[in-house]
Amino acid sequence: MRRQLLAIVAFLAAMALVPHLVDSEFWRNWVMMALFYALLGQAWNILGGYGGQFSFGHAAFFGTGAYCSAILHVHYGVNPWIALPAAGMAAGLVGAFIGFLSFRYGLRGSYFALVTLAFAEVLRILANTVPITGKGVGLLIPLEPGAANMQFADRTGYFYLILAFVGLALLLTLWLEHSRFGARLVAVRENEDAARALGVDVFRTKLAAITLSGALAGLGGSYYAQLFLYLDPGIAYGPAISVEALLVPIVGGMGTLFGPLLGSFALHGVSELAKLAFGEAPGLDLALYGVLLVLMVMFMPNGLFGMGRTTLARLLGGRRDA
Amino acid sequence: MSEVKRKKSISRRAFVAAAGGAALASGMAGFPSIVRAQRGPVRVGILHPVTGPLAFSGNQARAGAMMAIETINEIGGIRSMGGAKLEPVLGDAQSKPDVGAAEVERMNEAGVSAIVGPFASGIALATTQAAAKHNIAHIVDVGVVDQVVTRGLANTFRFGPGLSKIVDTAIENLVAINDGAGKPARTVMIVHEESAFGTGMSKVLNEKLPGRGFQIIETISHANPTRDFNNIVLKIRAQRPDIVIPSNYYDEFVLFSRTMAQQKVRPKAIYAILGGAASSQRFVKEFPDAAQYIMDCNHWYDPRNPVAQELRKKVEAKGLYFTYELFLNHECVRLLAEALERAGTGDRAAVIQALASSGFANHFMPYGPTRFVNGQNQGAAPVNTQVQNREIQLIFPKEFASAKPVFPMPAA
Repeated sequence: MRRQLLAIVAFLAAMALVPHLVDSEFWRNWVMMALFYALLGQAWNILGGYGGQFSFGHAAFFGTGAYCSAILHVHYGVNPWIALPAAGMAAGLVGAFIGFLSFRYGLRGSYFALVTLAFAEVLRILANTVPITGKGVGLLIPLEPGAANMQFADRTGYFYLILAFVGLALLLTLWLEHSRFGARLVAVRENEDAARALGVDVFRTKLAAITLSGALAGLGGSYYAQLFLYLDPGIAYGPAISVEALLVPIVGGMGTLFGPLLGSFALHGVSELAKLAFGEAPGLDLALYGVLLVLMVMFMPNGLFGMGRTTLARLLGGRRDA
Repeated sequence: MSEVKRKKSISRRAFVAAAGGAALASGMAGFPSIVRAQRGPVRVGILHPVTGPLAFSGNQARAGAMMAIETINEIGGIRSMGGAKLEPVLGDAQSKPDVGAAEVERMNEAGVSAIVGPFASGIALATTQAAAKHNIAHIVDVGVVDQVVTRGLANTFRFGPGLSKIVDTAIENLVAINDGAGKPARTVMIVHEESAFGTGMSKVLNEKLPGRGFQIIETISHANPTRDFNNIVLKIRAQRPDIVIPSNYYDEFVLFSRTMAQQKVRPKAIYAILGGAASSQRFVKEFPDAAQYIMDCNHWYDPRNPVAQELRKKVEAKGLYFTYELFLNHECVRLLAEALERAGTGDRAAVIQALASSGFANHFMPYGPTRFVNGQNQGAAPVNTQVQNREIQLIFPKEFASAKPVFPMPAA
C-alpha cells in the first residue's frame, strides 16, 4: 500500500508540474481531458472493475451530476462550489436507486448492463421533457468568469480541479483495494454465491459500490458543466459518455488502481496519433482509432496494466532463470 | 495547395517517421513546441463536424469554405497584405462540443487568425467560448440558437440570422401568404425534433401563432434519429390540420415527407422552418414527388446574383449539392477575407476589430449590408423557398423572389 501511495503522490506531483512545464495550451488541454476521462473511467472501475458489475449507462450518473450542478446554479443561484458536492450526492443517490432496483431483483451480467443503459436513456428522455432541464434546448450556464464561480480565466484552474478529483478517485480506489469493503466487493466479483456463503452481504456491498461509483461520475458531470457551460440531454445522458467511461478501464486494466489512468492516456494518445495521420480525411482517423482499439482489446485482455505486469514478471523471471 | 492540405496524401513511411519524430520530441522536450503564427500565409481555422451524426452538413460546410479559400487565393490573396494567401487549418468537431473546443486549442497552437464554423449551435457555444480565451475571431456560419451571440463574447460574429429572427420572419411570411390567398388555413400541427433547435422553434411557435389567427391542434416531438414516421403521419391524417410545420434535421425531414407522400396526406401546406431538407437540392432531386410544393423559411442565396449562379455551377460540377451549409460558409470566408483586407494584418485583435466594423456588402445572400451589433449581423434575414417542379424557388421577400408561392397546395 505504501508503494502505491507513493506512486499516487509521484503521479499527482508530476501532473501538477504540467501547467508550468508545458507551454502548449493544446497539450495542457489534452492532458486535462485525459484526466477527465480517467476520472469517469475510475468511477466505472469501482463498480465494473472491482465489483464485476458492468454498467453500460454511466451517463446516468454523469448527466445527473452535470444537471444538478447546472440547475442549482442557473435556477436557484447556488454557487457552483456548493453545488459540486450536491451534484456528487445526487448522482450517488441515482446510483443507489438504480442499484436498489437492479440488485434487489438479482439482475447480473448483461441484464444489469442493459438496465443501466435503459436508465440512462430514460433520464435522457426525461431531460428532454421537463422544463427544469431546459428540455431539448438545453441549459446555458451564464458566463461569469472568476474562480469564485468555478469559471477560471485560463485552463490552469480547470486543470488543477480535475487533477484534485483524479487524486481523490485514486485515493478512494487505494482505500478500496486495502479495505474490508474492497475485499468483499472483489469476492462478489469473483463468485457471488461463494461470497454470500461466506457471510458477505452481497446486496449491500454492490449497493455501496454503485453509490460510490455514481457519486464520482457525478463530480465529473459537475466539472464538465462548469468547463463547457452548456448542457443538453444528448450531451449529459447520451451513450458517448457511457462508452468512454467503460472503454478507459477496459483498455487500461479493469480492477486495477492505475488502469483507468493508463487507458485514458493511451486512448487519447491513439486518437491524437490517428488525427496526426489522417486528420484531414474525414472519418479515417476514427477508423484507425477503431482498428487500434480492437487490436488492443484482442491482444491485451487484461489491459495495458495487465500486459505491463505480465511483461515485467516475464522479464524478471527470465533473468532469474538465466 | 497549402502545406496543411498536402498532408492529406501522407504515406505510411512518412506517418511512421512523423509519429516517431513526435514521440522523440515528446521524450526530449516534454511536448511538441508551439507553432506560432508565421509571416506569409494567413491561417484560418475551418472547423466543422465532418464525422458523426452531423457529417453531411459538416462536409458540405467545409467544402464551401475551401472553395472560397481557393477562389480568394487564385485571385491574388489578401492584397493589403502583399497578396498573402489564406491557409486552411482543418478541424473536425466530430459532432461533439468538447471535441470542438479541443480543436480550437489545436488551431490556436497552429496560429490561426480566425475560425469559421462550426455549424451546430451546441458546438458553437463551446467553440466560441474557447476561441474567446485566445482572442481569436470566430465567425459562426449557421449555429442559430440566440445564446451564441448573447453572452457578451467580443470575438463572436454570426453572419446568418438567429433563431428568433428566423421564427419571427417565418410567422410574418406565413401570415402574408395565408392572407394573400384569402386565409384558407386556420389550423396547424407542429412536428419537431427534440434537440435545442426543434424544441426552441416549437416553443416560440406555440407562443406566437395563436395570436396570429392560427390554432395549434397538436405539437409532436420525435427523437433523433427517428426512422419510422408512420404513427406521426397517421395522427396528422386523423387531425386534418390545414398546415403542417416540420422542424427537423435532414434524414428525419426526408423520411417524414416521404411518409406524408406515401400515405397521401396533403394539407394545404407543408411549411417548414429551417427544414432539414426542404431547401436541399439533394432532397428535391432524389424525391421530387415528396418535395413538390413544400415551403421553407431558411437560409438561401439570392438566385439572381451572378456570383451565386457561377458558384452553384462550380459546386454541381464537382458532384456536390448547393446547400445552405455550403454557401453560408463560402460567404463567411469572404466576409473574413474582406475584414483581413481592411485590417491589413492577421493580428487577432485587429481582425476582431475589422469584423466588428464590417460593412461587407459584396455577398450573394439576400441580406442587407453587413453590420454587427453584439456579434449578430443585423443585415441577415431568412427567406421563404418553395419546391416547384423540381426546382427550389425563392418566393419571399418579393424583391429577391424568383417565383410566386403556390398556396394552397393543389390536390394530388
